[in-house]
Amino acid sequence: MRGVWAVIRREYLERVRSKWFILGTVGGPILLIGLMVLPILVAGRSESASRRVVVVDRTGVLYEAVRENLEQGGYELERAERTDDDALARYVAQATEGDIGGVLLLDDSSLERGRARYSARERPSPVRGLTLRGAVTQAALEVRLGADDPGVEALLAGGELDVNVLDSEGAGFDDPRFMITYVGTFLLYMVILFYAVAVMRSTLEEKTSRIVEVVISSIRPWHLMLGKILGVGAVGLTQVAAWIGMGVLTGALGLPALMAARPELSQLGELRDILPGAGYVALFAVFFVGGYFLYAAIYAAVGAMVNTEQEAQQIQMPIIFLLVTPLMFITEVIRDPGSTLSTVMSLVPFFSPLLMFARASTGSAPAWQVALSLVLVFATVVAVAWVAGRIYKVGILMAGKRPTLPELWRWVRES
Amino acid sequence: MAPNDYAVRLDGVTKSFGKHTAVDHLDLDVPQGSIYGLLGPNGSGKTTTIRMIMGILHPDVGSVGMFGGDLDEVRRTRVGYLPEERGLYKKMKVVDILTFLGELRGVPRGDGRARAQRWLDRLGLGEWASSKVEDLSKGMQQKVQFIGTVLHEPRMLILDEPFSGLDPINQDVLEEIVMEFHERGTTILFSTHLMDQAERLCQSVCLIARARKVLDGDLKEIKRRERKGVLAVRFEGDDGWLRGPEVISMEQVADSTHLLLGEGADHQAILRRGVAAGVAIHRFELVEPRLHEIFVRHAGAEAASADGGLPARANGQGGAS
Repeated sequence: MRGVWAVIRREYLERVRSKWFILGTVGGPILLIGLMVLPILVAGRSESASRRVVVVDRTGVLYEAVRENLEQGGYELERAERTDDDALARYVAQATEGDIGGVLLLDDSSLERGRARYSARERPSPVRGLTLRGAVTQAALEVRLGADDPGVEALLAGGELDVNVLDSEGAGFDDPRFMITYVGTFLLYMVILFYAVAVMRSTLEEKTSRIVEVVISSIRPWHLMLGKILGVGAVGLTQVAAWIGMGVLTGALGLPALMAARPELSQLGELRDILPGAGYVALFAVFFVGGYFLYAAIYAAVGAMVNTEQEAQQIQMPIIFLLVTPLMFITEVIRDPGSTLSTVMSLVPFFSPLLMFARASTGSAPAWQVALSLVLVFATVVAVAWVAGRIYKVGILMAGKRPTLPELWRWVRES
Repeated sequence: MAPNDYAVRLDGVTKSFGKHTAVDHLDLDVPQGSIYGLLGPNGSGKTTTIRMIMGILHPDVGSVGMFGGDLDEVRRTRVGYLPEERGLYKKMKVVDILTFLGELRGVPRGDGRARAQRWLDRLGLGEWASSKVEDLSKGMQQKVQFIGTVLHEPRMLILDEPFSGLDPINQDVLEEIVMEFHERGTTILFSTHLMDQAERLCQSVCLIARARKVLDGDLKEIKRRERKGVLAVRFEGDDGWLRGPEVISMEQVADSTHLLLGEGADHQAILRRGVAAGVAIHRFELVEPRLHEIFVRHAGAEAASADGGLPARANGQGGAS
């Protein structure tokens, strides 16, 4: 076991220290978050000096409703005392000078079609444009449907759908977090593939650089393979953990701070509702470990079988096919997670890591099925590792042509 | 000798790869503390034998023992092994890779790091400790490779074709390190296809050809035994008198012709033929045979023909050698 530790430590440290790992782990998400948040911030900043909006309300009934909606969005509103064209022209002139942020003209067409005119020096950002438009249409609807009826406001807010799942044990499921399941499944696919391929590359590197002979003269090939898979897997877990940590930090600290600074971005608060919870994260980790072990063992054997990256490319096609197949079913599984097809597919060990994760993370897989799939996955891991270990042991010393299937079978049988 | 006087003992070891028999019923005793040469032409089974001693391959038949016991992982970590095909992790720092290699053989990390630095200093690579392997020249990488072989103070060094592919300076460096370990009582087992080199360094040898042992034992003993085998002659005239049933082959060595004689050959018969032919004979002497001649005498010119500084064999199915 001493040797296994040495191998794990080497694989882990060499990878975690590399600049690519640091870039991918820290830089990637920061870049992603930055790309999303920066335009909002920049757009908000340019307008921050001009939040004061004068409302010229020619309908006489819309102002109060509009004010309520826009003040929530961070605007300071002022009602124009006079609404004739001269007054309007005066306010527009003030807006042109930059004394006020903008002039919002409401007239009969606002009440009829939700149409309004906004005059400002600069075009409002899409977020602000949406806020303004939403405020006017909502105000118009409220007035026309009878603002004193409290039910109208709830209707206008978009209503609610209480989902009552009768068929499965995942009854606690309340909000449709399909998006996050999609994203999670694809992320899982990418992380499993990336790190399994890293195991193959590492095996191939040891083989082509010839250092492997010295290593396996000291420790068993099986221990080398095990150490390599564990070491690389630990790197994968570290990366996933770092991403989750940054996600939690963004959700818990970054988002409230952003909303405090830019009240008009209050819609972002809804993001928090769809951010993954602890159960989701645990599922992700468990299925990553299972899927990674399964595919890393296969890829280790592939790395031992071949001599060049090109050969590896050819031989890994069927394996990638195994890994991609569940992705082709992901929409079907998310749309109808209780169907026979979804259930059966998600119980196939090679597909479980992605499909059972998808079903479980939307809460639509019974606990016993999740448990069964994990048992099947890990049983398959043991079987695959046994076969892969034997191929690895023979292959890692082989040079020359790639083995044929009968030869592979002989390696497995005889070693 | 008692069984535990042997550093390595092979007992009836056979190894096949498919239909090809790489090692055929090989018995081998490597005395503790000796310098032992495993000699044979390329493809004769040396590398396969060494890989079985290192536990990388397992014999189909027979057993391998080490330091008077079974070949287990603990005993094997007391060996410093330099394979024929060498390499290092290109992207790793020199000192890290040496620490790792030490750790695989049970040297604690801190200790390994210190030893690595000492060896690097000694071989003039002290400043390169924190460089990546790929930034080193080929010769420097070879030195790092030796350090990796000896860092854990092994009880035995097993070196497969250690001098092939080395530049002359590193050949000397390696030989110096090896002799130093020998003086400290470390057993040295190495394979080579270069007979002259083996003759200079070895105390004991095992000659193998076509997967089988030809002969083995103490080198001085072998030479004494083989004394009647080589005849050195110098003469003037036609060389027809030298051809006869007793002579296996002829070779020009310095100013004389060396005749390799078959078992039980009567060299006086050759002399009589020379006198009868009327050539002027200046030298007619039985000489101590060279290892190469002993080899040819026992294995036949054909079996030994791959010998003589050919480049390393192509690594075929099973890496059999």
